[in-house]
Amino acid sequence: MGARSFSLFLREALTSIRRNGLMSLASATTVAVSLFILAVFLLTAVNVDNLASTIESGLEVRLYLAADLDSTAVDGLKAQVASLDGVTEVRYVSKAEALATLRQQLGQDSDLLEGIDQMNPLRDSLRVFTKGSAWVDAVAAGAATLIGVEDVGYTHDLAQRILRVITAIRLGGLALIGLMVLATLFVVSNTVRLTIIARSEEITVMRFVGATNWFIRWPFLFEGMFLGLLGAAAAGLAAWQVYIWAVSGIYTNVSFIPVVPVYPLAWRLGFSLLGVGGLIGALGSVLSVRRFLRV
Amino acid sequence: MLQFYDVCKTYPNGTVALNKASATISKGEFVFIVGPSGAGKSTLVRLIYREELPTSGYVFVNGANLSRLKPRAIPYLRRNIGIVFQDYKLLPRQTTHENVAFAMRVIGATPRDIARRVPATLDLVGLSDKADAYPDELSGGEQQRAALARAIVNRPLIVLADEPTGNLDPVTSWGIVQLLLEINRGGTTVVMATHAKTIVDSVRRRVIALDRGCIVRDKQRSDYGDLGGGERAWAQGLSASSSGKP
Repeated sequence: MGARSFSLFLREALTSIRRNGLMSLASATTVAVSLFILAVFLLTAVNVDNLASTIESGLEVRLYLAADLDSTAVDGLKAQVASLDGVTEVRYVSKAEALATLRQQLGQDSDLLEGIDQMNPLRDSLRVFTKGSAWVDAVAAGAATLIGVEDVGYTHDLAQRILRVITAIRLGGLALIGLMVLATLFVVSNTVRLTIIARSEEITVMRFVGATNWFIRWPFLFEGMFLGLLGAAAAGLAAWQVYIWAVSGIYTNVSFIPVVPVYPLAWRLGFSLLGVGGLIGALGSVLSVRRFLRV
Repeated sequence: MLQFYDVCKTYPNGTVALNKASATISKGEFVFIVGPSGAGKSTLVRLIYREELPTSGYVFVNGANLSRLKPRAIPYLRRNIGIVFQDYKLLPRQTTHENVAFAMRVIGATPRDIARRVPATLDLVGLSDKADAYPDELSGGEQQRAALARAIVNRPLIVLADEPTGNLDPVTSWGIVQLLLEINRGGTTVVMATHAKTIVDSVRRRVIALDRGCIVRDKQRSDYGDLGGGERAWAQGLSASSSGKP
């Protein structure tokens, strides 16, 4: 396709969008609505996943250390724990720090701790963070065998339950997104097909006067792509605004729920929507034109 | 130019449209295909522009065996064939000029060629003053002239007309037939399927008659020079039939 015919096809596509104004508007709107729903869904999924990860990463294994370890022994132990499979971070917490944290947590009731500074009953410990709930059991078992570790503390049941819920949410979300993508594809390509059936007459005439199949396809392809991009742009803008609004609402009202920041998520979503919209539009057009080109 | 060898066409639903039809049409001929409805006239025409393939037998157009023509080559076959339909098939949202130019654009003609040839062709069919009119602003005869202009603007070797006068009154029909004759005088082969007996009788041209898919008559009528007798008969017929109309 040379530059001249390329611009010709582009112009044809634009002209025909103008000529079939109402139909074009209808398909662009359908694309926009479908992609907007998909976008809202994706944003929700991304945030649920983010929430799950946050909860997961909060799961830690606490290793209580023997009282007689010196700092070199602690460092050696830290290195050993860090080398265990699935461990992302190991943090040393001295018993003084532990007491300070406890005092903070108790707040006004911290006077209960009056006078125990001299004989701190808490133990030095290592906080071990893992890649996820699936690793907790193994890390705890591995750490328990290390010399210098007196005791292992973690909530086995909680870890397992969170693991199950998170897995379910991820799988369910993935399946739903898959369904949504399929539904969007179906709706959009169907709309494009309607646009084309409405113009089967034009295709018939083109065939009778000797237009090659690609000559017939290109303008429709561009047209479908334009409408797809147009719809995707509208969907993206709407989803962006809605997300900004939702994020600020969550920050002010339920700030303990972590949300994925608007940027760069909005950019990524926007470009994906444009890509998907353009692709679906073009593909829908070409596939729909096909049945009129059969001889 | 056109050859049919033992052409049979059976549609998937079992209808036999053509049965062992053989005929040869030379370059520059004007041929009527006649016969009652369902005799296979349209099928014969559709076989020529490769909208259908014969079930058996062969169709040759300009030396090419259509059964062996690759689908990719069909558009190029059709650029040699101008087609006119009973229902005109003009694009309703384009003007007369655009409709004719469409046929040129589709085969990649340059804008300069289009600007030169479309007005000349519209002039030939007598539609110069309707170039900017939309099809629904034209009469039936004018619409068919526009369709004819579209069919010949690319200077095809063959013009196929499938019942071109089917929706037109006798006077208008005659105008269309005269145009086809004029196109034929320029050397273009013309094949016209029709059941308008008066037209066929008035114009002394070869007639291929079909009945239930068989060619029952193929009469070469050599009276090419003078159309006077036929036209007179036509005119008499008209004056008789038009007396009832305003």
